[in-house]
This record gives sequence, structure tokens and C-alpha cells, in this order.
Amino acid sequence: MSLLERAAEAAGEAVSRRRFLKVLGVAGGGSLAATACGSQSPEKLIPYLIPVEDQVPGVATWYATTCRECPAGCGVHARVREGRAVKLEGNPDHPINRGKLCARGQAALQGLYNPDRVRGPLARNAAGNFEPISWQDAITRVGERLGAAPGAQVWFVTGNEAGTFDRLVSDWLATLGSSGRVVYEPFGYEALRHATREVFGTDELPRYDFGAARYLVSFGADFLETWASPVEYTRGFTASHAFTDGKMGKFVHVEPRMSLTGQNADEWIAPVPGTEGVLALAMAHVIVRDRLGLPPSDAARLRPTLQSYAPEAAAERCGVSAEAIERLAREFTAGPSLAVAGGMGAQHADAHSTAAAVHLLNYVAGNVGRTVVFGAAPNPTGGSRYQRLVDLTQAMQNGSVAVLLVHGANPAYASPSGLGFAAAMLNVPFKVSFSRFLDETAMQADLILPDHDPLEQWNDFEPRAGATLLQQPVMQPVFDTRQSGDVLLELARRMGGRMAQRFTAATYKDYLQDAWRRLHQQRGSRETFEAFWTEALMRGGVWSEPRPRGVSLAAGAARVAVTPPAVPEARFTLIVYPSSVLYDGRAANRPWLQELPDPVSKLGWSTWLEIHPDAARELGITDGDIVEVGSDAGTVRAVALLYPGVRRDVVALPLGQGHTAFGRYARDRGANGYQLLAAAPTAFGGVQHYAAVTVRATGEHEVLATRAGNRRQLDRGIAQAVTLAGLVEEGFEPHHEAHAAPIPERIEEVLDQWQEEQYRDWKERGNYAGEHPRWGMAIDLSRCTGCSACVTACYAENNLPVVGRELMQRGREMSWMRIERYFEGGGEHPLEVRVVPMLCQQCGNAPCEPVCPVFAAYHTPDGLNAQVYNRCVGTRYCSNNCPYKVRYFNWFDYQEPSDPTFSWPEPLHWQLNPDVTMRSKGVMEKCTFCVQRIRGAQHQARMSGTPLRDGDVVTACQQSCPADAIVFGDLNDPGSRVSRLATDGRGYHVLDGLNTRPAITYLARVWNRAEA
Amino acid sequence: MATVARPEPVRIPPTYSEITHDIAATLGRPGRIYYVLLGFVITVMLIGAAALLWQVRYGLGVAGYRPPVMWGVYITTFVFWVGIAHSGTLVSAILYLFRSAWRTAVYRTAEVMTVFAVMTAGLFPLIHVGRIWYAYWLIPYPNQRQLWVNFKSPLLWDVFAVTTYFTVSTCFLIVGLIPDIAAARDVATGWRKKLYAITALAWRGTDQQWRHYTRAYLYLAALATPLVLSVHSVVSWDFAVSIVPGWHTTIFAPYFVAGAIYSGCALVITLLVPLRKMFKLERYIHEDHFENLAKLLLLTGMLVGYAYVVEYFIAWYSGNDAERSSFYFRAFGQYWWATWTMIICNGFLPLFLWFKTIRRSIPAMFLLSLFINLGMWFERFVIISVSLAHEYEPYAMGHYTPSWVDWSILAGSFGWFFMWFLLFAKNFPMVSIAEVKEIIPMPRKERAHA
Amino acid sequence: MTIGQRPVLAVATCVIATILGWAGALGAQQPLAAQQPPAAPFEAPEISDTAGLKGPRQPVFFRHDVHTGQYQIDCRYCHSSAETAPYPGMPSMKTCMGCHLIAGASIPEVQKVREAATSNRVIEWIKVHRMPPFVHFPHMRHLKGETAVKAEITCQTCHGQVERMPQVYQFSSLKMGWCLDCHKTNKVTTDCSACHY
Repeated sequence: MSLLERAAEAAGEAVSRRRFLKVLGVAGGGSLAATACGSQSPEKLIPYLIPVEDQVPGVATWYATTCRECPAGCGVHARVREGRAVKLEGNPDHPINRGKLCARGQAALQGLYNPDRVRGPLARNAAGNFEPISWQDAITRVGERLGAAPGAQVWFVTGNEAGTFDRLVSDWLATLGSSGRVVYEPFGYEALRHATREVFGTDELPRYDFGAARYLVSFGADFLETWASPVEYTRGFTASHAFTDGKMGKFVHVEPRMSLTGQNADEWIAPVPGTEGVLALAMAHVIVRDRLGLPPSDAARLRPTLQSYAPEAAAERCGVSAEAIERLAREFTAGPSLAVAGGMGAQHADAHSTAAAVHLLNYVAGNVGRTVVFGAAPNPTGGSRYQRLVDLTQAMQNGSVAVLLVHGANPAYASPSGLGFAAAMLNVPFKVSFSRFLDETAMQADLILPDHDPLEQWNDFEPRAGATLLQQPVMQPVFDTRQSGDVLLELARRMGGRMAQRFTAATYKDYLQDAWRRLHQQRGSRETFEAFWTEALMRGGVWSEPRPRGVSLAAGAARVAVTPPAVPEARFTLIVYPSSVLYDGRAANRPWLQELPDPVSKLGWSTWLEIHPDAARELGITDGDIVEVGSDAGTVRAVALLYPGVRRDVVALPLGQGHTAFGRYARDRGANGYQLLAAAPTAFGGVQHYAAVTVRATGEHEVLATRAGNRRQLDRGIAQAVTLAGLVEEGFEPHHEAHAAPIPERIEEVLDQWQEEQYRDWKERGNYAGEHPRWGMAIDLSRCTGCSACVTACYAENNLPVVGRELMQRGREMSWMRIERYFEGGGEHPLEVRVVPMLCQQCGNAPCEPVCPVFAAYHTPDGLNAQVYNRCVGTRYCSNNCPYKVRYFNWFDYQEPSDPTFSWPEPLHWQLNPDVTMRSKGVMEKCTFCVQRIRGAQHQARMSGTPLRDGDVVTACQQSCPADAIVFGDLNDPGSRVSRLATDGRGYHVLDGLNTRPAITYLARVWNRAEA
Repeated sequence: MATVARPEPVRIPPTYSEITHDIAATLGRPGRIYYVLLGFVITVMLIGAAALLWQVRYGLGVAGYRPPVMWGVYITTFVFWVGIAHSGTLVSAILYLFRSAWRTAVYRTAEVMTVFAVMTAGLFPLIHVGRIWYAYWLIPYPNQRQLWVNFKSPLLWDVFAVTTYFTVSTCFLIVGLIPDIAAARDVATGWRKKLYAITALAWRGTDQQWRHYTRAYLYLAALATPLVLSVHSVVSWDFAVSIVPGWHTTIFAPYFVAGAIYSGCALVITLLVPLRKMFKLERYIHEDHFENLAKLLLLTGMLVGYAYVVEYFIAWYSGNDAERSSFYFRAFGQYWWATWTMIICNGFLPLFLWFKTIRRSIPAMFLLSLFINLGMWFERFVIISVSLAHEYEPYAMGHYTPSWVDWSILAGSFGWFFMWFLLFAKNFPMVSIAEVKEIIPMPRKERAHA
Repeated sequence: MTIGQRPVLAVATCVIATILGWAGALGAQQPLAAQQPPAAPFEAPEISDTAGLKGPRQPVFFRHDVHTGQYQIDCRYCHSSAETAPYPGMPSMKTCMGCHLIAGASIPEVQKVREAATSNRVIEWIKVHRMPPFVHFPHMRHLKGETAVKAEITCQTCHGQVERMPQVYQFSSLKMGWCLDCHKTNKVTTDCSACHY
């Protein structure tokens, strides 16, 4: 019985009868046959009881909703097959992500189907273990406790819930007579908010227009990874920075560590840790001194403030040469520019002054109102402040908290362990968690009322003013969970009195719709509310361009002064940064993300310590050594990774791992960086993510969990690059391998003839009569940031198994698409990192095809290197003969539930794409340009009698790419986007000299700097 | 007489009856050592079998493969055994055609070794495929799915090459056995008499039978001879036709054939030495035979050594970046130890064979043959796995270490081979009675008082 | 397709047809006219011995020959998505009750259906047509689209004369060779990746 059958059955067991019919009904309709493995057990066809209008067997339905994996609030379309969500894709006309989606967004499905979800309400029994109870019972218990407790002693911790639910919670607490509302996001942007208040006297955060800035300086802001709204910013960044018709912007990244964002910078400046502000003010000093650009009239007011930041003086403090500072200042004011402070630049003790300094820099350069816009009030944190968490902890410690409710936050894990939040929770007599998972905080609770997954809820979200995004259930709840909004309303009803009067809505959906009725009135649209609501549902929400608002310097601006934290001698400065894949650890239970090689380190399933090779040599540390990192707050063990992208006096460690709970994928894996951070809040009430540490080798060693074999490309032109100047002056000359003699004309002809004959031969047999496509792809490396969203998209689309850490250490991960990372330069030359997405090149003259003894690997008439899984015998010769190494072998039976390596523990397998065959043990598999999508589109075209148009087929990787670096289409259609790009001046083929004639053309990366 | 140089020891050639008696004696009741040996090799084989079952149950992942090294110990061992198989035919067929008398004493061993080596080799393509239960898809046969095999694929050529070679060498062995089985039949008793009676194919040794027999033997020899060259050439094309740096070279066919005969002769020696002791065949297999084999070793060893040099030279001379870096990696990369094992065992040790004393010293030859076998296994490992570990895509380079499954199956293959060999040795004459009789000088009169 | 397009009329037809039909069916036995072209009006035979019938035994003895043969109900009335989707789909219980709310109340097999429907249960039919694994068969492409129309493919081409089957059995082997024969005669794709991906 195939996995998909099991999925269908599982659905039956897991959900209530009526839903069972729903789910199974269509499944029975035939989708099973697609991948059933011919078992002789009688298969059942189970009809619907009542047919569902929008569900046709084998045809996908799409629902618009909002991604809640991070505070950005991207719009997604959920692809639903047979009543189950199988894929998330960006909502094309959404203001924030414009149809794109990052890796974390893709993996939201694995939150929905996570095998470690809390499957129903749990209560802690006398023995101290959790046991299931009924919702009735559970809610009654909470009701009693709340009734008994004095209102002031009820505290409620939530994550960022900007929107109706946020208002419900505040209102609910207020009516209860409590002021114990805590919003906690580990990255609270406290520094930026503090600085904005100081400099511009406003509480709202500015909105940065990356698209308009031709010159961008980022002071630590990892805006391509986690900062604020990565997908949106990636789009803006590529718009201004990607090479287009002879022009591109310049991007300078200022941070002691080269993050993924830093790797995409034309220039990486590594100042002394904590001195970004000095550099910013020094630049401002030069600008004001030399009246560069067009500074606003009152910029002169800042002269005294900037007096002490003359380049020479600053150079000594921040370790950036005075010439560099002068140059940066001039370049910065040469055109529309933007400076942003954030990420790790805004997480050290003096971060608020860094942020303030950058505000001033923007101000004197006249960017405020141009690229730094107020009025949109982006709200990435729902007003979270670490200080509030500290207050709560103290309250808990001195026993003045009677009831603690936690929703959507995990402070027991994601706060400095010195704070002792988990321990303090023990003083609270009654703790309720609304968590969907048994995370560290939930483990401390007395009662767990599991919330719906965001994909199962009615809700809305406001990432910024004027954008109200809707969430709707894309499928029936997987488990016996209940939406927290409903629980709160139910509680209010039970408690009666004030509460009951205040909250009359029967369900949270009604409450939400009431809120939207008000919104409907505000917007004063003429259509009826129902029409308004339905349209919002279809579009994914309502949005409008916010009206920009002017700001002027506040009194605090003059007081800005940078006092970098001193680093004790003989110790490293540790930077604990958010993983661009696992963020602050909330995504650590998603197997796709655990297995996704980190864009910077290329490691999966682990916590590593980035250390400079020279520093490592002195300590006698090599790659894979287990090191002990000790700060005043504590010590952790991590695996050493030699990374030339950090200063010699700096080490860096990612957050996200080291969970002590949170399910099978997250538990007991790697180390938790929070254990190294000081608990005391900074001057601006945030967490300090820098620490002075010692590093020592433990003598233990482990094999790095990575496929990365060689960090240098041995001058083989895999990832090619060119400088802007060079490109504009003498154009781009593709690199040729040392031996690559030009391929004789004759051979070219012969191959062309061969291809033509082959096509004709096929055509006579009726293949693709009328069409003659040659599917191809173009990947623009000047757009690709290496974010790896495409990799996860591929996992989701093509049912790729997750193999786990041990097999990854043996290089056996199955990702059909991998982002190769190569180092260039280093040493006295500037370090350069190049990335290249490597997937099957669909060669026109493929080495893999002739060596297959059974024609499992063969060439399709439309130019694909097809792999017929059920014909494969597994000789693996194709993989040996593939120069790109993009064929992946099923070493184990990942799809067999009885197998120890089974990759989709129930209900994860509900996510499987019914259009893609499950590959069994001993079979070679590979990327086929999402052939299922190609065939699907061809079916559609034939049914409607129209030919395929360019853009009808979109591969999963292309669809997700936030930078729009991947273009897919028909190379034989001269009008198609891809064939135009394939002839671009920057185009080259990887390993051209082998004459494999790849269908993928890479467009060389362009660096906007002097030296390549 | 001390001043006179010691003359060659004069060997008193055995009489016909002695020959029959001595050799038939090898078929006598086996001693304890034999059973101990047999028990040991069967145990080893069973360990291998267990490992294989484990692998079939859970998938090839239990072996040590690490992409990009998709071919490891199994294919290495496959080529190793196919190579072993070659000297058999060379010694028996080619030397027969050249009428070189010394072969008679050793050719049976060589042939037996050939047949069992091919039997062993034939297992490995099956062991190494991902879906052993579909391996029959490599055989072209009409099926309702209307599918056919890809004759462009060298793996398919292999299927034909190996099966052909197995068939021919088996026939050759059996035909050669007939007169001896007949001889054994005449002295045997009990169930063995019945066995020999059947397998002797009613051989009575009449002139007419002899006439047909010698013809048949000659033709088979003629048929087998080209296979010595063709089979291993085809095997070498498994690699030569690919684009993998380190595989993609034109010298592979001769290089592999030479290597094959080299390793084959080595194993013949390894087998003969104990055999000769255990079966007291010193009178039939003596230094001269070893010296001749040694010369063959020397020749092929030189060829192999030359091939090594040429490989490196071409890698450098081609100016091909991938080739160069691949060969640099061989010598100085993670697998330097394997490479140098191969070069020392196959390139340098055979140089000792220039010395007659070594060639005629049986212990020395035995030791040398062991080293050469080791070296030849590593040669295949280096060519196959080490080349794969360092190909075109730098990011996808990787280091491969075999797991206990690989090693057990490798050991098991030796168990399997020696099991057959031992069983054969006790049931069929390991030295050709008939041909030995042919080559001894005019038979002496029986001593009266004997 | 007429009936498929006008369900209301369909229901009405069924109701009347059922009553008349069963009145008729209770009368004289009719020989099974499976092979020769439908001698209109076809009357489904009385089946006394169901054990002898080909094909798997279904939980309810649903008679395609009565529904599609005798009452001429279009296949697509129940298997509605055959022409638009990869899978033809199974009729919901609601579809059954559309007619059987009234029709055939007296028949024990129909009563089974009505019981099931009224008690919100469904009938778990046994899958008859088993396609080999690892292949995609889009029904709609074989019924609509120029090549399909040219080849005059109907449901019967692969499923046999279901309208004459008292109990449905797998008519064609549905094996790869069988697919290819048809694809070759009709000169349509024989590219592996057209069905295997």
C-alpha cells in the first residue's frame, strides 16, 4: 500500500467521521491509483456523503491566506488537493512578497502537519505528567482559576499578534482588570525604536525603501535573512542592486561577521565590534563638513554632535581607515542612498546609539523622506520589549502572579538563561499554554490548550499601517485543537458578568468579522460588507499605500554619542545571531529547515561556532572539532567551523538549536546560544547579543553534516563573476577550463542534427505534435542571494525525503537543488563568496543517458533528461558520469513507513504531492524541471485547445525565488524570457568544455567594485 | 668433489602407474586440516551472505557509499575477480596453442581458478545494484511492456562478456577433465565411482575418442584465446567510455588485460604452493613451473608498471586541468595510502623477479604473490573509487570509507571462491593425469622387485 | 451528455423510469444481450445467481446494466469529473438519493443505500480497475482534446460495455503494453515521461 493511501487512511483515523468522508472521498476517487504500489489488498473507493463544490478529484484548489512564520506577514496561496494542503506559494498580487516565499514560509506546512503537535488539550496530573482531557473540562478549569485569582495577578504573554487577536487579548485582560500584558519577540527592535524616539521624537519605526536606493550601507542589518521583512527587502534590494542594462547599485555591508547579507555586498567592512555607530557618525561628519549631497537646512545643528567624529579620530576607534570613511561618505551622497542599522548591528550594549547614528547619517544625507519614510508604521514586533519580560519574571519570582497565560511565545527557551524565566514559572500556581507544540515553556505549564495552526485559523495580521491581511482555514483542523480566540471568548462567557457583557461574539470568526465591519466602514467602500469580505478573502486581505509623514530632528538628536562596549583582553567577542533558517529557534522542529544547509555555513542539524582560520590555528582548532565556548553567563559546546568571514577577534554562533523539548526534530540537538547571553537588559531595554567569551578545544571531533566537499572552485568557472567596470568596458568573457579547446564546428552540427532527428523520430510517433519545446532555464547570479528558498520549495513540490543528521554527514541528503558556495580571495585580497544554485542541467548531450543499461535515464523529445523511476535498477553509473553530480540515490527506503529511515511520520505525509511518484529504495532520482507541472500545463493547454504560452509552466524553485533569479521556459521560442536571457552577454554554461550542452544558462555575478 | 659446481638435482620422472597413483591419491579421504579449512571458508562465506541479506533488506545505504563515490568495494572486487579469471585461460589455452609443455602441471589449477573466479565476479554486479530483484532487466527479453535494453551502455556489454567467458571457460575445464575423471573412475569406489562414471561421459580412451578429444580441445582453446583479450577489454570500457577524470583514457583495455593476467598468475602461485604441499605433488609441480610463472609475472608486471607511468604522464601531458588534479589527488590526496600500496606492490616488488634465486624460491614467490594480489585489488580501488571522489564539481567532492558490510561481502567472496576450490580439489584431480603422462620421457621399465 | 447537463430532468426521468422499469423487470425474464449492439430498448435481466458474475462483489449489488443500460443514464451523470479531471470521481451518496429518495424503494439493495444515506454512512465500494503503479492516467485527456476525439475513445473503449454488466469487472488489462498498443495505433505520444514522472 502506498504512502498516499496510508495518508488517506491516516486522515480517516485522525479526524472525525464526517471529515473522514470528506478527506477520503476524493482520495478514493482515484488519487491513490497514481502512486499505489500495486498491493493486492482490496482498495476501497469511498464516496462523499455530500459533494464539496470546489473539490474535484485530482484538481487542486487554491486558498489565499497569510504566512505567520515570521512577523513579515507575507501573503500565501495554499494549494489544496483532496482536502489537504500540499504546497504553499506566494500570493502574486500581495503588497509584501509579490508571489514569492522564503524557506521558512514554505516549511509552514511542516508546522501544520508536524507529528509532534499537541493533538488535544492536556492537563498535568498528580504525577506531574500530561494527560489528555476534554475541551469542556479544560476550559472549566481555567475559568475557575481565573474566577478565583485577582485580576491584577493574571499575566498574558503573547508573541507578535498585531491585529484583531492582539486587541482581543488586551481588551480581555483589561476587562479582567489586569495590566499584565507582555508581548515578547526575542528580536524586539528595541534599539531602533529607542533611537527613533531620541532622534525624531516618534514611536513609529521608519520604512526603508531599498528599491529606490542606488547606494546602500547596512550597519549589521541582515535584511536578506531575518531582519523585519526579508522577502520584501530582497525584492527591493535586487530591484536596485541587480545588474540591469548596464547599471546597478552598490551595497556596502558593515559588520564584524560576514552574514549572508554581507556575502551579497560589493564591499564588506568589518569594524571593531560595536563601533558601527562611530563609522556612521564619521561619515555624517564628512558629509556635514564638506556639505556633500543636499543636506537639510538644519543639518548644521549637528556640527557639535559630530565634532568629535573626524575621520582620523574615528578611524582609530572603529578600525576603518580614514580614506575609506571619506570615500564612503562621498559615494554615499553621490545619489539616492540609504543606510540601515539593524540585525546584529542593533543588538549590542550600545546599539541604540548605533541606530541613532545611522538615523543622523540618513538625515544629513537627506534620505529621510526619500528612502527612509515615516507613516507606514511597520510593526515587526507588536511592540515587544525585553524589559517587560524581565518585569514579569520578577513578578513571578516574588509570587505576585496567580495565573500565567502564554500564547505564541517561548520565553523559557528564547531568553537569556540567566533570566531564569523557566525557574520563575514554578512560582506561578497556574500556568496555561496555548502552544501547538510541547516547547520549553509549554513543558512548564499546568494546562495546554493547543491553538489551531495558522493555516487552520480565522485571523488577521497587520504588519504595517494600511495593510490588513486575512488568514482563513485552508483545510479542516488536523487535530482536536481549538482556536485561542474562541477559547478566550468561551472563557469570557463562562465567567459571566463584565466579561460576558464585553465579549458577546459567539465565535472568534464573528469577533473578527465585527472588527472587519468597522474596517469596512472606515474604508467607506460602497460595496456591501459581504462583498468586501469575500473579496478580501480572495485577495488575502486589504491594503493601501500609506501616506508618508514628515519628521524633524528632536532634541535628543544632539545628545547622540557612541560609546562602544569595551572587550576584555584575551577574549573573543561572540556574536549570537539569528539563524536565517531557524530564526530564533521557533522553526527548529521543521525537518525541511533542519536539513536545509545553512546559507552561510552549509551545515544542517547542528550548532557551529564560526571562527577565523588564523585564530583557529592559534588555538589548534580545525573544522569539525568540538569546542567549548564560555562567557560570564554560561558555556556551550559547538562544532568549530573555520570561516574567513569573521574578524580574527570575533566568533559567531547561530541561534535556533539546543532545544530541551519541542519535538523529535528539535530536541537535544546543537546548543542554545541564549545560555551565553547576559540576562540584564541593555540601556534601551533589549537583549545584548554580544558577549566576551573564551574558546577552547575539547579534543572531540565530529564529521561536519554537509555535502560541501571543496570550498574553492579550483578555477573551474562553476560560479563566475565580473566587475561592473570590467563588464561595461570590455564585456564578459566566460571562463574556459584549462583544457577546453573550442569544440569543433562539426561536432556541434552533428549534435544539432542528432537532436533534430531525435525530435522528428519522436514526432512521427505523435509526441508533442505541433509543439517543439526545449525546456530551459536561466539563473541570474547577480540576483541570486543564496537564501535557499528554492531548495525548500523543491522539497515541498517533489516529495524529497529528509534523511537526518547522520546521513547528511555522509553526504546523502536528497536535495535535487543545492546552493553551492565557493570562497574566492581571502588573505590579503578581499574575501569574496560566490553562490550558484546547482540542479540538473538537463544537458542536450547528457553523459548520464547513454550509460544507463535499461533506458531509465533517457532524453525526452522536449529536451529533458527524464528519469523513469520504476525502470531504474540502480547501477548508479548515471551519477558517476554526471559531471554536475545532481543525481541522487535512494540509499534507503525513505518512503516505507516500516523502515527505520522513514521520512514522513504521520501526519507529515499528508503534505505529499499526489502528482509526484514516491521513489523507493535502490532508485536514482533527480530534478526534471518539475515535469509534473509541465505535463499539467500541457494537459490544460490541450483541453482548452490553446498552445502553451511563455510563463504557463513555472517550476517550484522559480516560483519561490524572492530575488526572481530563476527564469524557466521554452528555449525554442525566440520570444520567451528564458531564450532572451540565454543569449545575454553575461551568460555561461557550467563546465562548458565537456560539451554537455546544458539547458541552464547562468548569468555571471556582477560586483560593483574595483577588484573582482 | 667439492670443487665441482653442484649439478641441478636430477629428477627421476615418475612412471605412468605412479602418476595415476599419486594424483588419484589426492582424491583420497581428506584429513582434518582439510575440514578445518573448508569449515573456515564456509563460515566466512556465510558472514558475507548475512551482510548481503542485511543490505537487500535495508538498502545499499548500509554499505559505506558517500556521494559522489557511487561505486566502491563491490565494483572494485568485481573487476578484481574478473581479472583473476584471466590467467586461467591464458595458461591453459594460449600456452596450449604454443605447445609449451610446462603448463601441464599447473593448467588445471589455473582453469579451476578461472571458472570459480568468474562465478565469484558474476555475483558482484548483482550485489552492487540498488534493486537486485530487477537485475534481470539487464537481459534483453521480449516483454509485454515492450521495453528493450540500451546496447549503448557498457554495463550491458559486461553482461554478455562475463556470461560468455563463464560458459567457454567452463566447457574448457570440463572437456579437459574427461580423461582424468575416467582414470579416477577406475580407481574410485562407492558414490564417487558413480559420479565419475557419469562425468567421464563414457570415456574409454579408445584411439577414436582420443582423436576427437584432442580436436575438440584444440578448437576450444582457439575459441577461448581471443576471450582472454576481449573480456577484460570490455570490462575496462565500463570506465574508459565515461567522462570521469581518471577513467576516461584509451590505454585502459591493454592496461586492464595486462593487469588481469598479472593478478591471475599471482593467484595461481598463491594456490599452487599450499596445494603442492598438501597433495604431495612436489614431483609434478616444481621450481621450473614457478620460474615460468614468475617470468610471466615479470612481463605483465612490467607492463602494468609502464601503464602507471603512462597514466601519470598523459594526465600531465594532456594539460587537462581535471585530469591533472585527479591524478594529483590520487597520489597526495586522502587516498595516498591506497595509491602507494598499489604502486609499491605492483610496480616495485615485481622487480625482485629479475633475480633467478627469487624466481626459484617457492616461499619468496608465495609471499610476492600475496603482495601482488593485494596491490591489484588496490589498483582497482584507486582507479574506481578514488577517481570518483575527485571529479569536476568541487563542491560535490567527497571522501568514501567502506562499512562493515562492504568488508564482510568482500571477505565472503573469498570464502565463496575457496569453498568451491577446496570442494573441487578433493573430488577431481588438480593435475592432469593424462597430460603429465604425455610429457614425461619414454616410460621406464617397472623395477623387477617393485 | 444531455442528462448530465440537466440534473432536474435527470432525476425526474430516473423516478419514472425506475417505477416503470421495475414493473417490467418483475415480469418475464429477458436473455442477457451483452455482446450484440444495444437492441433498444435494452432490458436488464433478472439475476438470480450472483455468485457466477465476474468482478469483485460490491457491498451493494449496484447494477450498471440497469442504470446505464436500461435507463440510459449517462456515465458522467455519476462519474462527473471524467472529462474535466484526471480522476472520474465517485458519486456522492447525495447523488444516489437524488433518484432513490423515491425510486426503487421496494428493492432490498436500494434500501441498503437509503439506510446508509439516512444514517450519514457511506458505501465503501471495492475498487475494480487496478492500474499498475507508478503511472499517471489523466482521464480527461482520453475523453476530450483533439486526438482523443479523433480516436473516438469512449468510456467503453477501456472499461468495456459497462452498460451490459450486472456487476462490473476489469475489462482491459490496463498493463503498459495495452496502453502502448493504443497509443501507437493512434499515433500519440509513447514518451515514457508522458505518463511516468
